Amino acid sequence: MSTTLIRGKSLTGRLKFKGNGSFYLGIGIISLLVIIAAAAPLISHYDPTGQDLLNTLVPPSRHHWLGTDQLGRDVFTRIIYGARIDLTIGFAAVLLPFILGTTLGLVSGWFGGWFDSLLMRIVDTTIAFPFYVLAIALVFIVGPGPKAIILAITLVGWVAYCRIIRAAVLVAKELDYVHAAKLSGLPTARILRKHLLPNVISQAIIFSMSDIVLSILAIVSLGYLGLGVPIPTAEWGSMIQEGQAYILQQWWIPTIPGVMVVITGFGLSLIGDGLVRRLNK
Amino acid sequence: MSTPLLSVRDLHVEIQTSRGLLKAIRGISLDIDAGQSIGIVGESGSGKSITLKAILGLLPKNARITSGEILIEGVSLNSLSANKRAALLAEKIGIVFQDAIAALNPVMTVGRQIAEVPYRRLGWSKEKSHQRAIELMQLVGIPNAEERFHVYPHQLSGGLRQRVAIAIALSGNPQLIFCDEPTTALDVTIQAQVLRLLMDLRQKEKTGVVFVTHDLAVVNEICDEINVMYAGRFVERGGVQDCFQHPVHPYTYSLLKAAPDMEHQVERLFSILGEAPDLTKPVSGCPFAPRCFAATDICLTSEPTLQLVGSSTSACHHSGSFMQSLSALDVNEGGAGR
Repeated sequence: MSTTLIRGKSLTGRLKFKGNGSFYLGIGIISLLVIIAAAAPLISHYDPTGQDLLNTLVPPSRHHWLGTDQLGRDVFTRIIYGARIDLTIGFAAVLLPFILGTTLGLVSGWFGGWFDSLLMRIVDTTIAFPFYVLAIALVFIVGPGPKAIILAITLVGWVAYCRIIRAAVLVAKELDYVHAAKLSGLPTARILRKHLLPNVISQAIIFSMSDIVLSILAIVSLGYLGLGVPIPTAEWGSMIQEGQAYILQQWWIPTIPGVMVVITGFGLSLIGDGLVRRLNK
Repeated sequence: MSTPLLSVRDLHVEIQTSRGLLKAIRGISLDIDAGQSIGIVGESGSGKSITLKAILGLLPKNARITSGEILIEGVSLNSLSANKRAALLAEKIGIVFQDAIAALNPVMTVGRQIAEVPYRRLGWSKEKSHQRAIELMQLVGIPNAEERFHVYPHQLSGGLRQRVAIAIALSGNPQLIFCDEPTTALDVTIQAQVLRLLMDLRQKEKTGVVFVTHDLAVVNEICDEINVMYAGRFVERGGVQDCFQHPVHPYTYSLLKAAPDMEHQVERLFSILGEAPDLTKPVSGCPFAPRCFAATDICLTSEPTLQLVGSSTSACHHSGSFMQSLSALDVNEGGAGR
């Protein structure tokens, strides 16, 4: 063949991030956090819940990089084990609403009619409902722990994805290629999956990045309120809550988990911004 | 007489707008036989695209068919369930849109888009569908079809995209292709290539074509029959040769006159003054009368219907005497030309 053609790239292949340094920085930060969380037992030989009552509230040193808390637990160890809990719940608590909201938004936008009207009223109601009130109620019903947190965030979080996707579908379903697919007699499920979904999902992906930040904040806030993961499990929110009594003398105990939340949020925001720049061009 | 492939009987479409009810189509009848090629010509807002959309069931939410019947091979679409109707339309009709980039899915390779209908709807095997897609790509004149199978729409030029769109329209082996201004978005040389392709396809595949356009020259190239649309109705219909050489409706005449002509040098092009009528208001008299050079009192009071005039039909009170009057009247001086 005389001409060489560029072989088409898959959807992920299209997402090239040339000259998008902050995006890579975000990826770097989050990857680092994930690696640290995953490799926690290899990095620290302390037990995150193991108490050492002879060495409480020790300042940072060679043995305890970030000191110990009021029960002599190694703060650094608790931070990296806490990352496991917070990142896992954070991602899980976004994945479920993402899937639920996207599916409902797709169906609602495509079919319209009474289903659409009903769903949108449910969305309105959900938005009007205060999140923490719902979360607290659920924790009492389900019992504290990751399940209750994920359930609470999912019950509230799906509405954003639903609205984003529905709005995009309303625009996309009037596009010629969707009309063409419809006219050529393809099954509806296939039109939704192959012709609509890949073309409307980018906004939801972008939103999910900032949504992870919000849900980690929610987990931490619930932890702070004592409604999160039950103690003594290491978790950033409960670490802040337990450590706040020592903020004047051993300031690092409550501050470091807070800084971790900020760093995680920063990394995810950079990824989100990078995606916006790439996909909304 | 055989049953026509597609038949439209006295179709009326209304659109709900913020200014009131707009009677976009006010009674259209049309018969298309297998392999026939017809053109629907009119200016913007005359209802030509809405006609196609109404037939295909693609009307926007605020528009609806108020009366009339659409039959495919004698089967009325009204009598079918939504699913059966969609299946029948999909089997018989393919469509090519004006804007090829909007008509292609940006995140799917062009080959897969062409192979999709054979694979999913006709139930062919993956290999056979793939092979068919490559055949179709070759048929519509896409060079290096094998390699281009794996290319995304944005990697192709405008002309090639329109060829891909035509290949997709052909992929379900339709008997009729609806072309909604398929060449308007292309530059003139590419336009000529695409038209030639459509003409070739008509001969090779024996596919009928319904061509909607505002470009008279395009219709002249590709169609057997022409339907001139004005204000939601056909005002003149007939063979292309007849209509172009002996127009029997003043609107057709004016349109032809308004087209630039290479043979005759004119200082200023003829233009049709005024605008198309507001169809939210009731039409009294001939809708073209306010812009017509031949209009008389009767044109303002009663709306003419299609009448046979020579070999064409025309909806004009003066069609009969129109041919004679044309020779007597220099239209450029007559009033509407200025």
